[in-house]
Amino acid sequence: MSGRVFKPTDTVDFVVVGSGAAGGVMARELSQAGFDVLVLEQGPRYTAADFRHDELDYWFNGHLSNKLDTNPQTFRKTANDVAQRVEGFPAAWYAPTVGGSSTHFTANFWRFHESDFKERSLLGEIPGTTFADWPIDYAELEPYYTKVEWEIGVSGLAGASPFDPPRSRPYPMPPLPVKSSGVLLERGARKLGLHPFPAPMAIASAPYRGRAACAHCGFCMGFGCEMQAKSSTLYNMIPEAEATGRCEIRPLSYVSRVETNAAGRATGVAYFDKDRKEHFQKARAVVLSANGAETARLLLMSANSKFPDGLANSSGMVGRNLMYNTYNEVHAVYERALNEYKSVQVTRIVHDFYEHDPKRGFYGGGGLDGRIGPLPIAWALLAPPPERSWGAEFKALLEAMPRAMIVAAHGTSLPLETNRVDLDPALKDAWGLPAMRITYKDHPDDVKFAGFLQDRGVEIMEAAGAQQVWKAPSGESTGGPHLLGTCRMGNDPKTSVVDNHHRTHDIPNLFICDGSSLVTSGRGQPTMTIQALAFRAGEHIAGFAKRGEI
Amino acid sequence: MEPSGNSRRDFLRATGGTIGMAWLAAQWPGLAAAAEHAHGAMSADTADRTKFVFLSAAQARDVDAIAAQIVPSGATPGARETGVVYFVDQVHAGVWKSQGEGFLERLKGFQGSCAKHHPGTGQFADLATGEQFAYLKHMERSPFFGEMRFLTVLGLLALPSYGGNAGKAGWNLVGFVDRHVWESPYGDYDKDYPGFAPYPGTKVRS
Repeated sequence: MSGRVFKPTDTVDFVVVGSGAAGGVMARELSQAGFDVLVLEQGPRYTAADFRHDELDYWFNGHLSNKLDTNPQTFRKTANDVAQRVEGFPAAWYAPTVGGSSTHFTANFWRFHESDFKERSLLGEIPGTTFADWPIDYAELEPYYTKVEWEIGVSGLAGASPFDPPRSRPYPMPPLPVKSSGVLLERGARKLGLHPFPAPMAIASAPYRGRAACAHCGFCMGFGCEMQAKSSTLYNMIPEAEATGRCEIRPLSYVSRVETNAAGRATGVAYFDKDRKEHFQKARAVVLSANGAETARLLLMSANSKFPDGLANSSGMVGRNLMYNTYNEVHAVYERALNEYKSVQVTRIVHDFYEHDPKRGFYGGGGLDGRIGPLPIAWALLAPPPERSWGAEFKALLEAMPRAMIVAAHGTSLPLETNRVDLDPALKDAWGLPAMRITYKDHPDDVKFAGFLQDRGVEIMEAAGAQQVWKAPSGESTGGPHLLGTCRMGNDPKTSVVDNHHRTHDIPNLFICDGSSLVTSGRGQPTMTIQALAFRAGEHIAGFAKRGEI
Repeated sequence: MEPSGNSRRDFLRATGGTIGMAWLAAQWPGLAAAAEHAHGAMSADTADRTKFVFLSAAQARDVDAIAAQIVPSGATPGARETGVVYFVDQVHAGVWKSQGEGFLERLKGFQGSCAKHHPGTGQFADLATGEQFAYLKHMERSPFFGEMRFLTVLGLLALPSYGGNAGKAGWNLVGFVDRHVWESPYGDYDKDYPGFAPYPGTKVRS
């Protein structure tokens, strides 16, 4: 741990709220461009040596997750329902720690396709939704996707997928070694005439930029990587930002408000330190990268007499258009051992159903991957169908775990104004701030497409020769780690929160870049795009600052 | 069963072939410490399974009997042999202490209902195993049964230091081997993989 330490009286050039996938990139880009940057992170800072292989603690005790006892959330399906306090897994699930959710992510790093940015033009209006084109296109973002692959560190095989969008460079590292789940997914999919290919993963398949190669321990999803092989910003962007001597990462700093002055400019942020003592940090500009749920909540909590509906909210879009992506699983058991608990979660994926197809009769697109996903406890809890969930048949299924795999189906979520993050009118968190309230109901097309894609997963497993195949029950979305769309980008200040350079339409020195910026949901793996946006935003914001345009 | 507790040797063996020795020599001390730290927590079975610290003996008998119906004993160890009851006992005095009283209330509710259904029987654990199965079948949709299933799975498969998974018997049951480092091939289907065959019209670049 190194870097600058600012004094309480300092006015920094930028305060960045959040140190995750986007915040880490912003910190590095702005500090390398010569600016003083203070990053406020609500959670603690861990090092590689702190991480453990303890499934109970990480998955069922929320070791790296946001804590519902101190940071409660409420959830309802529609505005007509009374939101209930969320128990168990958070409805907006993230990792409050330095590195953010890039610390515990699975590391699937798919680029969006060209169509993702202009589907509204290609397909037309979808009634009842806010389906829209992005204000940028794929070609605009391509150099930054390449930057993510090389500077964050992504393993993959360029050109392997016939559906891949154009790219300017191959991946810097070869794909990770294929697992049995990948071989079987590939076998079944090829038999059906599909085009499975090596999964791009933000995990080092070889030593990379001072980090170790993956040791294939299997503890990726939901865990921190003690090998530093997973390309978390904790291990790349954060230390590189600190190495400039112009960036301080301040953990255990929980931001409660962004303040503005009479001129309508941001002056800095108020935050609580680890002892719950409140401070004010002055800044020339503020960047919010607190994730698609907390960024919206913070803007709404910052309402004042000049901005009574919350900051940057003249459009009324702050918190709206929340998109989770759909996620369904297919389970399969084979004759021989796969041992899926070893190595990274995913080694082969299928993008044949990525594009919308009007012949299906409903909107949607997605991708399939082969994996075991969670480790033994989660598999034992979630995989068995109800009739085999206890007793001798359950035990037989437990003994079949080495022969089991999952196909995960990741799909689109349409943007709806009614799906939103706002402030619970009654419940407060441990600091006395309004709790996050989430209102969410899948669009009917999202449910239909998710079911369609799950059925394709069944066909692939059957074609691969599985002895048993069954679908996990698929219900409506009630939460997840993909928190997208709540401060969407757009050229029109009436329908979007930030412009195409991530500057808020309403406040010239307030910028937002994280999952909230996404206009559409992509196909279920958003982090790659969030980081590409952050590299692009960082470059533009630094340019504005250098030219005196902030 | 792979040997455990020798992660340093496993690490060297598994990474030596793919990582340059100069790099390894430069990086080794810190990485080895991190890797062993993460792994060490998994390897140690430090639980004391000689006494109960939260449950009464009668409560422990019923918890053990329910768990043994969820994952029965037989040719391979079940919940009983892996010490699930000690897990349930110890987490409610430890990591989930705040939920202990609620658990006891629900357990007492279960015991009360069982006594009503089976007058003259001392407690659930005293029922014949077929009767135990039938009674649990009757209430398998109840929240308490769901909670017991959750606790049984965690007791079977969480780290032995939480009280269950005695001697890693739960991990043995599901074929999970607690080694920190693996190398390809991982299973029977990837060992003969011929390599990725590109599709016609594509140009693979590396």
